[in-house]
Amino acid sequence: MDASEREQYRAAIHGDREAFEMIIRTHSRPLFAIAYGILQSREEAEDVVQDSLVKAWKTRWRVRDPEKLPAWLATIARHKAHDVFRKRRTVPLSEQLIEPIEPEPANTNVLDQQLQSALAALPELHRAALTLRYFEEMDYRTIENTLGLTNGALRGILGRALASMRKQLRPALAAMD
Amino acid sequence: MPTVHDEIDTWLTADLHGELSDKERDALHAHLVDCAACRKTHQEIKTMNKILEETLTKEKTDPAFEQRMLAGFRSRVPQRSGLVKLLVDLMRLRATQIAAVAAVLLGLVQIGRMITGEPVTAPREREHYVGEQFAAQPSQVSASRAVESGALAKSDEVAAGRSRNLPLKEPPPPAPAQSKDEERTGAEVERTIVTGSNIPTAAEETAQASVQETAPALANRKLIRNATVDLEIVGFDNAVQKITAFANEEHGYVATTDSEKQANGKLKGQIVVKVLPENLDRFLQRIRSLGELKNQTLGTEDVTKAYFDTDARLKNAHVMEQRLIDMLKMKTGKVSDLLQVEKELGRVREEIEKMQGELKYWDSQVQFATVTISLTEKDMEEPAAFLLKERAQLSLYTPDVEKIYNETKRLASPKVQITNAQLNRDYSGRVSAQLSMLIAPEESDAVIGRVKGFGRVENFQMQTQRLTQGGSGMSQNAKTKRDKVELNITISREEQEQAFQQTSLSIRTSSVDEKAKELRALAEKQGGRVRSSTFSSDPNGREVASVSLRVAMKNYPALMQSLNSLGRVENVSVQRQDRADAQIDESDAPADVSIQVYSQGNIVTEESGLLATLRRTLAQSASAIMWSLRMIGVAIAFLAPWAIAIVLLAWVARRVIRAKR
Repeated sequence: MDASEREQYRAAIHGDREAFEMIIRTHSRPLFAIAYGILQSREEAEDVVQDSLVKAWKTRWRVRDPEKLPAWLATIARHKAHDVFRKRRTVPLSEQLIEPIEPEPANTNVLDQQLQSALAALPELHRAALTLRYFEEMDYRTIENTLGLTNGALRGILGRALASMRKQLRPALAAMD
Repeated sequence: MPTVHDEIDTWLTADLHGELSDKERDALHAHLVDCAACRKTHQEIKTMNKILEETLTKEKTDPAFEQRMLAGFRSRVPQRSGLVKLLVDLMRLRATQIAAVAAVLLGLVQIGRMITGEPVTAPREREHYVGEQFAAQPSQVSASRAVESGALAKSDEVAAGRSRNLPLKEPPPPAPAQSKDEERTGAEVERTIVTGSNIPTAAEETAQASVQETAPALANRKLIRNATVDLEIVGFDNAVQKITAFANEEHGYVATTDSEKQANGKLKGQIVVKVLPENLDRFLQRIRSLGELKNQTLGTEDVTKAYFDTDARLKNAHVMEQRLIDMLKMKTGKVSDLLQVEKELGRVREEIEKMQGELKYWDSQVQFATVTISLTEKDMEEPAAFLLKERAQLSLYTPDVEKIYNETKRLASPKVQITNAQLNRDYSGRVSAQLSMLIAPEESDAVIGRVKGFGRVENFQMQTQRLTQGGSGMSQNAKTKRDKVELNITISREEQEQAFQQTSLSIRTSSVDEKAKELRALAEKQGGRVRSSTFSSDPNGREVASVSLRVAMKNYPALMQSLNSLGRVENVSVQRQDRADAQIDESDAPADVSIQVYSQGNIVTEESGLLATLRRTLAQSASAIMWSLRMIGVAIAFLAPWAIAIVLLAWVARRVIRAKR
């Protein structure tokens, strides 16, 4: 993290709106990735990111160390996403019944469906790491920073995530080859 | 350490993501060459990676995402208006923050003062003010004291002034007078006329001087001399005889004598002696030896001029008389003229006679000096007799006041006179009597003795007064006469007598009623009287009987002894009142004993039962909790403003520190 970034974070924490808007520009995509990783729904993820940013602005004074601002933003997004996820589970039965009836054009592909379920089976952190990696093509260090992980942990996480998915999707993979 | 094979998925993933170092990649590739299984996995991972990339990139958000986020943010968190923004920006400044904190604190302090109603002044000033107030009173006091002392000083001054001035006025310069006296006594011991504080007058001095010169000039001068002498002598008659003798010796005579006898048998009187003037001094000296000289005066009247004037006029009158006689002898003129002459002659003769008488008187006065001697016998003031007045005061205690009152009244006889007798009953129904009597002296002892026997004597006082009759002071010869004895008697009921000794004690026993009865019997045996008794029992079965009785002191020890038979004697306290006048006999003096006979009752009272204790404990703890709640409330109310201020301060400080970073 260079000095200009650090100064930007500090200004944002102290209420500099322009600095915060700059942070929104640079950090909303990773946040989206994290939210999407949890929710696997673009609309919901977008809402989560929006809520998280507003909440972050309102509670920005809680951040003590400007360096940890990205990780803190990620935490907010994760919590928000979790909240949404939990609410989704309690959606009335009738709605759930209606859903499968609707034909889903995006999920017609069998592989896609399998992939989605494999992703859903992963731990949330793994999913977040995957989305950050594949949406934003971030390098490991940035991902670690964003998720507040220690050096070297991410490699294992991604490795395990891919291994788990590889095993689940092995028939499909074999068919592709 | 895990091998590449063990973590092949991790290695392969990292390789695909380009996160392996060169050395790691070499190691991986070397392993893949060797391991067929890992090569297969490699293939799968590669396919997996590809699928993920393809699938997830599809889900990737559109390029307008950031703009949407920003727009959403801006709409949900609206930009503050200019003034608010300015304020917020201002608040970011360190100086503004500090100033704001200071202002808030100051405001809090002022509000606190307004609430507590303290005067809005600096604390030190307030202390000073309070101190002043405190100091004010003492200073006022001291001021008033000063005034007072000033007044005192003034009065002192006045006193001092008086004493200062007085000495100035008072001391009649004694030195010259004394020295004069001394001179006189030294030089003229023989001629001391002055006695007491009498200071010789100038006239007297000249008189004395003239006396010294009289001898040669006496014949030519007509001087009337007289003297008065006050003498205190032992025997009057003896002195009169001697004075007569002296007078004769000095060619004089006793003119008058009078004497008077006093009640105490002493005589006093006055003698007038005529002596020849030239012998006067000697005569005075001689009579002075008769007794103690109290006072002496010597006077001289010079009548020379008047005498010779009268003499000359007399001669003229004689001449006139002669001529008138001659005119009558010649018998010339008318009858009326003769009558006129006759008349004139009568007048002249009358005048002549008058003048002659005057001259004769003067002659007699001049011829003899008059000495008036006042004689008083010694101890003139000695009393002739003494009257012994006796007054007795007697207080009696008796059970029946009225009876004794009547009995005392019956003592009246020719020798016993009752002057006052009254029987009183006060508002509380107590009877007391007062009698006064006069008793002939010879009967007094007997009567007083009888009255004393009527009851218990509380107090007897005898006052004797000796009155002198006809004089004052002491006398060995005077007779003493006893007057009637005045006796005042006060009779009061025995109950009113204060006990000589007061004892209180308690006796613990199981059967209170019975023991109380026994106690009465015991008291009866010792001649005691029960004055009051109460009995009570409380719900816990505790019975208390209080008996208060009065017993004579002589029976007191026996009673106390017998009390031990009733039960355990506890809490004995004795109070004794020694009276100043030890005229009362102790053995008959009353002693009060108050006895409390009590039983213990139930060991566990209703008040100390299990349930009661529990109830009480609960009530107490509840009230304690309520109290502490109240206290906490008070503490919060008291501390809250400060806590808020401190928290605010801490928050601001934290923000300041953060801003610094």
